[in-house]
Amino acid sequence: MAELTVNRVLDADLATVFDFITKSEHLLEWWGPEGISLPDRELDFTKTGPWHSVMRRPDGSEMKVSGQVTHVKAPSSVGFTWAWHDETGKRGDESHVTISLRAAAGGGTEFSLHHQELVSEEAAAAHNAGWTSSVRKLEKMAAREEQESV
Amino acid sequence: MTRLPETFSALGDTTRFAIVERLLNEGELSAGDLQAVADISAPAISRHLKVLRNAGVINQRVDKQRRLYTVEPKAIMGINAWIEYHRKFWETSLDRLAKALKKKEKDDG
Repeated sequence: MAELTVNRVLDADLATVFDFITKSEHLLEWWGPEGISLPDRELDFTKTGPWHSVMRRPDGSEMKVSGQVTHVKAPSSVGFTWAWHDETGKRGDESHVTISLRAAAGGGTEFSLHHQELVSEEAAAAHNAGWTSSVRKLEKMAAREEQESV
Repeated sequence: MTRLPETFSALGDTTRFAIVERLLNEGELSAGDLQAVADISAPAISRHLKVLRNAGVINQRVDKQRRLYTVEPKAIMGINAWIEYHRKFWETSLDRLAKALKKKEKDDG
């Protein structure tokens, strides 16, 4: 149900981009928002297995996210599970991230990231039955309510 | 954001999903009105309504003898928040990835 896709065209060839999204030394250059540091991490998407990262914000607060690398298909795709930990360290609900790469027609690399909350098959079926239009209706309702409450 | 799994699991049932759809399309309805969404008993409908209420997906108000139900927009806003939070996370990370690639090209060149 909750899912998002982010597309970019990156100015580098396919093999280079694949290195940057899988190899630890490169992941450390871009993983997380600007200004964060990674005091504790196991970030290697070149092989399946566990990964985690603790991100420290400039104000010293930390957030942890972890998961399993589920597939690595050089040079076109990598997939991993994803879950935030709460302040007690307890791991929250799991979602799944898939990154797909393709050589772009005019040079460079098409990058596509799909992040999806994991839901049951039944929920997925309900989703297909018209969830999107329902969400739009609810968004309108919510917007209206917010306006009225202002 | 914390109640999102509950929202998903509550909506992950076809009868409950149908109930929410009807409430969206028709506004406030009673348990009796909602019984028509599936070929099930009144107690079964009550159980589904209770699950939806506990998950914060619908609201209930009592009007004389009747219980009336509406959709809670905040439940859906929770789904939006999940999407926006993660979109921002990835967009800002990808800005840095693009920069790192540019820097590499410069260093190599």
